[in-house]
Amino acid sequence: MAASENTTPRRHAIGEVLFRHETILLLVLIAEWFYFNSVGRRFGTLDNTFEIMRHSAEIGLLALVMTPIILTGGIDLSVGSLLGLCAILFGKLWRDAGMALPLAAGCTLLIGALAGGLNAVLIARLRLPALIVTLGTYSLFRGLAEAITRGVDTFTNFPDSFLALGQQHFAGLPTQVWFFLVVTVVIWLLVHRTTFGRSLRAIGFSPEGARYAGLPVERRIAQAYILAGVVSALAAIIYTARLGQAKADAGTGYELFAITAVVLGGTSIFGGVGTVHGTLFGVAAIAVLDNGLVHARQPREMAGMLTGVLLLAALGAGALPKLLAKLRGPRHSSAPPS
Amino acid sequence: MLRRFSRTGFQGGRAPPHSKTQAPNLLLRDFDLMQKYSREISVAIVLALLLLVMAIAAPAFYEPQPLLSRLAREAPTLIVACGVALVMVAREIDISIGSIFALCGVCAGLLAGSGWPLIAVCGVVVLIGAVLGAMNGALVAGLRLPSIVVTLATMVILREGLRWKQQGAFINLPDAWQWFGLSQRGGQWTLIACALILLAVLAWVSRNLAAGRFLYAVGSNAEAARLAGLRPRWITLAVFVFMGALAGLAALLNVVQSPQVDPKSGTGLELKAIAAAVVGGVAVSGGRGNLWGVFVGVLLLACINPALTYLHVEAYWEKAIQGAIILLAVIFDGLRNRRSTN
Repeated sequence: MAASENTTPRRHAIGEVLFRHETILLLVLIAEWFYFNSVGRRFGTLDNTFEIMRHSAEIGLLALVMTPIILTGGIDLSVGSLLGLCAILFGKLWRDAGMALPLAAGCTLLIGALAGGLNAVLIARLRLPALIVTLGTYSLFRGLAEAITRGVDTFTNFPDSFLALGQQHFAGLPTQVWFFLVVTVVIWLLVHRTTFGRSLRAIGFSPEGARYAGLPVERRIAQAYILAGVVSALAAIIYTARLGQAKADAGTGYELFAITAVVLGGTSIFGGVGTVHGTLFGVAAIAVLDNGLVHARQPREMAGMLTGVLLLAALGAGALPKLLAKLRGPRHSSAPPS
Repeated sequence: MLRRFSRTGFQGGRAPPHSKTQAPNLLLRDFDLMQKYSREISVAIVLALLLLVMAIAAPAFYEPQPLLSRLAREAPTLIVACGVALVMVAREIDISIGSIFALCGVCAGLLAGSGWPLIAVCGVVVLIGAVLGAMNGALVAGLRLPSIVVTLATMVILREGLRWKQQGAFINLPDAWQWFGLSQRGGQWTLIACALILLAVLAWVSRNLAAGRFLYAVGSNAEAARLAGLRPRWITLAVFVFMGALAGLAALLNVVQSPQVDPKSGTGLELKAIAAAVVGGVAVSGGRGNLWGVFVGVLLLACINPALTYLHVEAYWEKAIQGAIILLAVIFDGLRNRRSTN
């Protein structure tokens, strides 16, 4: 959790394990798809596919930006609350301050960056544990949203041109999916094709080592949290457009879905290991499960339970080979769990 | 590390006899104690200031009956916060406690409804909590999975399973159950006494008994603890089992306060408990923390909402202020650590 904890080197061939993990997840996803397709009559239609995409865009965005953070060995519990705060500030700027919608959206993104910057300063500069800092801002952002709206105020009656962003199609896909795709591509390139991504992994493996290697550790960590703030604000705008209203409780619990999706996608919570496409598979697995169970006429609660079981199974599958090897071989002086 | 251990060793010893000839020593010792507990003391000072402000600005805050009710409502939180503080001292974390709490509450309601005697229900509910905790502990210690993810998964599984089973329906409790069959006043005093006795025992155990010191040893450096002959994984398992049992106990103390059991109770309890522990000076990186500090943290966070009400500030600010307090506490820690390392 604290970035400085992670100093034990990994002994496994990471590429191999990762390959296996994501393949399994993809197989699970395909199995889910075929099962629900055979059970639910309307499940496999294009409309329903679009519906799944539409509903998972916000959590997907949060999960995407959570990936770089978890890669550094950090965590961000505040993204869901920040989504709520940005949604109502967006409404406030538009309705009460009389801003044009594009300007209000721009300001909201700026606010997201500032809020992410608060996390960044506390975590990167003061070197406080990310879990606790974002627990504090989780409370703070939600509390500010509630205080600003006094718990009751909601923002509605957005113009249709804005609602189209969340409810209409553009060039054959739901409009928000285009935003999602752009963010996906950007973050995939950042994490997998730039030195930025490599330094995030290096920091996740060993912050001290990364520092000695001359990487700007503080700046990289700060950038990851600011990015999360900006994209949370974007998710807030999309959320508002999809539902047509902004309320203080928007995005409650989204941070847990996002973290679940990232970990399900094979990213190690201790940092250093993980991929963006793994996260995408994770988001898809959760979204398909959620939607498919409705079509299969199963209780909604089943989705949450199965997601939890899937998460434990994914973790267990990763841990099992290690355990078996240990049982078979003689006891080495292995590092204890941290 | 060495310093931390020598300090804690000192803290466990008996105080030297007070005498005039030892006055300089005594002063130094007091200064040392002040420094060691500066974190806990500063939170206590903040709490004292808040209470003082309330005494001047809104004396109605201290009316005995509402005050007693408020304290009784915080008794379960205190127990859970003590448990999570011990888990954090052992360098793990448990965010499934809110769900275990709710599940245990519902179990207590169902068992009581089907006519089980009170003692049996109490025993079984605490046992259920311990078993659920053992499940977490087995996954964390046995498979060496990260505790935050394991307990995230069990939190969701238990919470959703409970919602599936109960569909949000409340459970009526037999009349004899409320306040354990005592009068309201007597019941509230009993709850508070239970929580305080447990706190005192745990605080003493964690400082003076080997079992308590093991947690600090494992949380400070698990590998060193292993080389010293401890078995960190069994200790991790034990602390999760204990946490589960405490969550069950807290659920009992919560259930008896109202005529019905709310299956949604305990939502967000895990974050509240962790926040109280952090404000009280427990380090999430393990090996540091004091249960009396946690006590002060619980009281401080519990005071915010009533204080706002009595000061006629809108209660919507509660969460924001709570968040600000957590951030201030952790910033305080960060600045202090920085000074001590420089």
